[in-house]
Amino acid sequence: MARSWSSIGEFETFLDEGGVVEKGDAMPDEYRDAVFRFIELHANSELMGGLTERDWIPKAPGLRRKMAVLAKTQDEIGHAHLLYMVAADLGVKTRDEMLTDLFAGNGRFHNVFHYQAVTWADQVAIAYLVDAAALISQQAVFKNCSYGPYKRILRRIVAEEGFHMRHGEEMLLVFAEGTEIQRSMFQEALDRWWWPTLHMFGPPSKDNDVLLRWHIKSERNEDLRHKFVQKYAPLCTGYGFTPPDPELHRDEETGKWVTGEIDWEPLKATFANLGPDSARRVGDAARHWSDTGWVRAALEAIAA
Amino acid sequence: MTARGSALSNRPDSVVSSVQNDVVSALRAVDDPEYPGVSIVDLGLVEDVRVDGERVEVDLIPTFSGCPALAFIAEDVARAIEAVTGVGGVIVAFVPEPVWTPDRISADGRRRIAAGFGVGVQLGPKPPACPHCGAPAALRETALFGPVRCRSIHHCDACGEAVEMIR
Repeated sequence: MARSWSSIGEFETFLDEGGVVEKGDAMPDEYRDAVFRFIELHANSELMGGLTERDWIPKAPGLRRKMAVLAKTQDEIGHAHLLYMVAADLGVKTRDEMLTDLFAGNGRFHNVFHYQAVTWADQVAIAYLVDAAALISQQAVFKNCSYGPYKRILRRIVAEEGFHMRHGEEMLLVFAEGTEIQRSMFQEALDRWWWPTLHMFGPPSKDNDVLLRWHIKSERNEDLRHKFVQKYAPLCTGYGFTPPDPELHRDEETGKWVTGEIDWEPLKATFANLGPDSARRVGDAARHWSDTGWVRAALEAIAA
Repeated sequence: MTARGSALSNRPDSVVSSVQNDVVSALRAVDDPEYPGVSIVDLGLVEDVRVDGERVEVDLIPTFSGCPALAFIAEDVARAIEAVTGVGGVIVAFVPEPVWTPDRISADGRRRIAAGFGVGVQLGPKPPACPHCGAPAALRETALFGPVRCRSIHHCDACGEAVEMIR
């Protein structure tokens, strides 16, 4: 069943023709490493996202929102479980090694989890903008990803993220139609989250990006960002909010929305786990892992 | 699912069955928010449909009482039924009984969930087959709760797939 390729060239032809790589295949080490790093980043981000979400369970306004936050937390931790399993199956690092790296501050996770959510309106901005950006990226990967086990997990993740977005839209409407205080709370949150959301798609893709060449991703970062801006710039302004970009405008000729120049320095800082809230987030995750050790020990004892 | 029409005895039967049938067809077109393409009827969420004149009452049961999708499902159901000709008002209620179990999912629903999402359904105490490769008794549970509380996570030792089971 397992397939092998005699050269990188032959492997790349297989991928270019829409071939899907399976776990037992003798894939080139470079491909294995690239797909592993990509899935590890996604798994770490789901875990960090879930832990962040969890902080808002006691603070969410009303039972319905609490249920939604609980469900999102459950969702993200569940996705992390699945993704760590798929990543570990590649044989590069075990799940424990990935977690140890993450809690030691040596793991990578998405830039948006390196910032602090200050008020409930930040959570709304995250649900409305960040979840939408994540969905745009994940849909693009899901469509044509060359690694089968990851592609199949993504179809469930994409379905569930779509459901998060409905919550985000509903919560945004509450703020958009709310009092002056609510509207200014959301504006302040938008000021904090607009640029990190645009950064989330990554810097412009390089022409030699192996993720694109090996069809792990199928669309360039800047194209996905463009897609997001075309939808969310008019939505935000339509609701009477102002993204914090004085140069953001709709081009008369092309009809497309154009952003001002993007400052990549804040994104680079998050790559090095030196974002504004990185240290606290990593520390909280590590503490949470050690605080819940007794639960894992108890479950293992029951299973034994 | 039962379909009652006792209050409609003064109306011609054809009208009764037509509205009732149209309502049921409308419900079949309402997908579960977490499984696009799988209807709430196939998932066994619809317990009762009562048509009384222009008024329709639908009783639904949740898979889990804390399910966060309940409000969205109720909204989607109300919208779908309001669009049916001859319907003047809709009441959608979640009832606490009977308790939802995975065997309420229809055979067609099970096929769609397995094919569309790689999610299996745990029926009875027998170890389930892998929803990906079909291997019997090769699943090892790795997490009691998955991304939603009605699913657990398993590793298939035959094909190596990370799969989930509704239970």
